[in-house]
Amino acid sequence: MSAHQSRYSLRVRMLVVLGAVLLLFLGFTGIALDRAYRNSVEGGAAERLQIQVYLLLAALEQEAGEFFVIEDIQEPRYAAINSGLYGFVYDAALTEMWRSDSALTLSLSQGEQSSRIPEVGEAIFDTVIDSNGERLFRFSYGILWEGVETPFSVSVAELAAPYFSEIRDFRRSLGRWLGGATALLLILLLVLLRWGLRPLARLSLELRNIERGISQRLTGDYPDELWAVTENLNRLIDSERRQRERYKTTLADLAHSLKTPLSVASGAVDTLSSSSLSAPNLEEGNAQLLVVKQALERMDQIVAYQLQRAVSTQNHATLALRVNVATAVSELLAVLEKVYAGRRFIVESQCDEGLQFRGDERDLLEVLGNTLDNAFKYGAARIRLIAKQGDDGALEFYIEDDGPGISVEQREFVLQRGARADTLAQGQGIGLAVVSDIMASYQGSVTIEPSDLGGAKFVLTFPQPETEPARK
Amino acid sequence: MRLLIVEDEDVLRQQLEVGLTQHGFIVDSASEGRNGLYYGTEYDYDAAIIDLGLPGIDGIDLIKQLRQARRAFPILILTARGDWHEKVKGLNAGADDYVVKPYHLEEIVARVNALLRRAAGFANSSLEFGPIQLDLSAKRVALYEKPVDLTAYEYKLLEYLMLNAGKVVSKAQLTEHLYAQDHDRDSNVLEVFVRRLRQKLDPSQTLNPIETVRGQGYRFDLEQGAEK
Repeated sequence: MSAHQSRYSLRVRMLVVLGAVLLLFLGFTGIALDRAYRNSVEGGAAERLQIQVYLLLAALEQEAGEFFVIEDIQEPRYAAINSGLYGFVYDAALTEMWRSDSALTLSLSQGEQSSRIPEVGEAIFDTVIDSNGERLFRFSYGILWEGVETPFSVSVAELAAPYFSEIRDFRRSLGRWLGGATALLLILLLVLLRWGLRPLARLSLELRNIERGISQRLTGDYPDELWAVTENLNRLIDSERRQRERYKTTLADLAHSLKTPLSVASGAVDTLSSSSLSAPNLEEGNAQLLVVKQALERMDQIVAYQLQRAVSTQNHATLALRVNVATAVSELLAVLEKVYAGRRFIVESQCDEGLQFRGDERDLLEVLGNTLDNAFKYGAARIRLIAKQGDDGALEFYIEDDGPGISVEQREFVLQRGARADTLAQGQGIGLAVVSDIMASYQGSVTIEPSDLGGAKFVLTFPQPETEPARK
Repeated sequence: MRLLIVEDEDVLRQQLEVGLTQHGFIVDSASEGRNGLYYGTEYDYDAAIIDLGLPGIDGIDLIKQLRQARRAFPILILTARGDWHEKVKGLNAGADDYVVKPYHLEEIVARVNALLRRAAGFANSSLEFGPIQLDLSAKRVALYEKPVDLTAYEYKLLEYLMLNAGKVVSKAQLTEHLYAQDHDRDSNVLEVFVRRLRQKLDPSQTLNPIETVRGQGYRFDLEQGAEK
């Protein structure tokens, strides 16, 4: 299992992008709606003020540069001081010619009056601020009075606060609605992502099950987009399995076809050496036969060693099945006790129930079989086997005997992973070299220590792959 | 001792036949599983040597079927692969020991002898009954630690009787396990051998190691000495 480094998961990617789009969209919507509403409110204000201007014009009269009200203005707010509605008349030089009673105490802040006078028939709508800091909408209209050369400007100002509070109310409720909509959409998005990505989660679970050996292939119904992937994965898994089987069968055939002629040849040598007793050149003949015999033995070792290596160095970690250790151990011990029945060994075995080996059963049998066989071969009367799960989760085997033991100098030699079997000493079995090889292919280790039984103690350690993917 | 060999490779089978016959065994052989099963269930063997890769019925099935047919003789398997998976399968099916190909004839002979000895209930290759010592691997007999000179047939007869010590062995059983062909089976010849054995092992006629059980056969009946 490779170390999984996820920059951004699919879910995070989609959430970030869709969330950003959503926020941007809703933000612009909010701004546009706010603008439009403000414009319409201000437009409404301008329209009302324009009516007020006409109203004022109808009530105003001018004589010799003096403006006065000739009849009651329909709008009572012009009469009440600080009513919020004020009327003004300016001449072309922006000199105030008249102001309504309501504006008696009103003073617009500095600079506000100095806006330009509108052309005749032109209307200007703007905002001014009075000395109290209150905001006012002002509508100014340019007129030409009968008999007067210079134009005048009639302007009406109204407190803007009610309009602004209207806008504020609108903004507040707009914010609430848009916020609500955003939250709702985000929740919907999350649900959608979860639902949409669920097949992927299931796919990963199924793959993990295959790796753990709980199932053999992907079974679930997957959406069309994933179907091609799962189909191909299934095909890959099947072909891998078939290839492994084919490989093993081929190797078995090869073993058989090579070993049988070897048997025939060594049998013939045996026959020759026992029947050549009366032959002439006896010494010479026997010496030659011995050479042939040794060559045959070496050939056999090479064949056996390379075959074991080939069988055991297949990739077993990725799609391996689980093997019950207790079953394998008890089977092997039963076999060995049968084979070595004549020697009457006391075998002591401790194997935690439920202990599992992740890998090929053949490899486990090979490793334990060869090590145990070695113990039975050299042990005198006692064998001890302990199988347990180490603190770091590794699967550990301790195989001890009460034989002569293995000296420090010999330990390394015995476990030498002779890539070339012809480096093996004459008569040395290939068993322990095979053990070393298989252990290495599992990234495991094998060491030899002295046992308190008196002989050798083999320590085999299989680091077990993480059950869960490394990602957290 | 009558052995059954089931091996499909002709040359190997002949080598085994010749070699084992030279070592004093009576050998029947079959070249495929079905014949092997027929021989194995039809005749009484002392041990069988079975190759695992056989045409017809394969070795494992053959062993299983022999065991199902209540054939209890020890079985030695020959395997080419030699991996533990196969050994475990073979021995679980009912075999008693294995030899990995290629092998030496001496190895086969030693394994077969050990199996025969174990099947008879002896842990040691040297059988000791009173003053009589029989070395199964060296095929030598000693009386009061002095070697006794026996012919091949005399030795075979004594070995069979000693391996079945305490049990009555019929003349028919003896001829079946000691002679290769039917025409050798003359009970008078057997009586001659028994008489000669008695003379060689018990010249003073005090031990009486081989007892005649009237109408039934012979019984080797001496106190078993301490095993080495």
